[in-house]
Amino acid sequence: MGINTEQLSNILDNFVSSTNDVQGAALVTPDGLALAASLPGGMDEERVSAMSAAMLSLGERIGGELARGGIERIYVEGDQGYGVLTSCGEDAVFLVLASRAVKQGILMLEIKGALGELKSILI
Amino acid sequence: MALDSHKLMNKMEQRSLFTAEDKTLLQSHADWGREIAPDMAEKFYDYLGRDEEMNAILTEKEGRIHRLRETFIEWFAEMFTGMDNWGGDYADRRWRIGLIHVRIGIDPQHVVPAMATVVREAEKRLIAESKPSELKESLSKICMIDLAFIEQAYVEVSSAAVLRETGWTERLFRRLISTGADSM
Repeated sequence: MGINTEQLSNILDNFVSSTNDVQGAALVTPDGLALAASLPGGMDEERVSAMSAAMLSLGERIGGELARGGIERIYVEGDQGYGVLTSCGEDAVFLVLASRAVKQGILMLEIKGALGELKSILI
Repeated sequence: MALDSHKLMNKMEQRSLFTAEDKTLLQSHADWGREIAPDMAEKFYDYLGRDEEMNAILTEKEGRIHRLRETFIEWFAEMFTGMDNWGGDYADRRWRIGLIHVRIGIDPQHVVPAMATVVREAEKRLIAESKPSELKESLSKICMIDLAFIEQAYVEVSSAAVLRETGWTERLFRRLISTGADSM
């Protein structure tokens, strides 16, 4: 049975709309192709997807080189907000964008919850 | 290595219209090729030595220029012998030359004019020694095949090195190039 992309999109849309201060999310393949995305207007989905996959993969390499063990997430902190990249099984990368106001503990819990849902569809 | 060097060699032969006649002609002048190779190396490295950037690369490590000169002599002679009739060994060796170029930092901008020097100098010798004009054409073809091959190897090796260091898939790498190029 194929992957239900509509379900993936629904999970992302719900995640973005129901989590405080989350501005966008995307699920992409390790090759950098978008499986589903709910990104802020003006963001280039194709580009964001490629960069997300590139960053997670590079982060994992860096983690290995610096003997940091398995990488749980890549965290980008800017003065306008956060970008969090998490591996979603072997076949996908989960990107979440949040504003500076986000409560990080809650964000991590919400990401964990969303990952569980996304993985159940991808498997 | 994503690229099959032997397949690329065959493709280059077809694209350059490098025929069995070209091969026979070059092989029948293999002794001559071997004989003039040291002189060609002399001219080649004299030319490169006058380029500030190239000179810096060539003299960066002790003994490098000597090793490269030896490689040049072998490479030049191999264009006439074809090693294994321009087969897998020949292709692998051209691949290896591309790899060495990446390792020591010789870019295509250096290689292409340098190859033009080889063609020019070889042409002078062909004329001076009244060699058949067909030989000039055959030699030009194989020089261009080698050039294309070395440059393609350069691109492939550079990409492979990035993939190895980043863990990116080849498709992701191409996607990044494509999205990056679109925004230029």
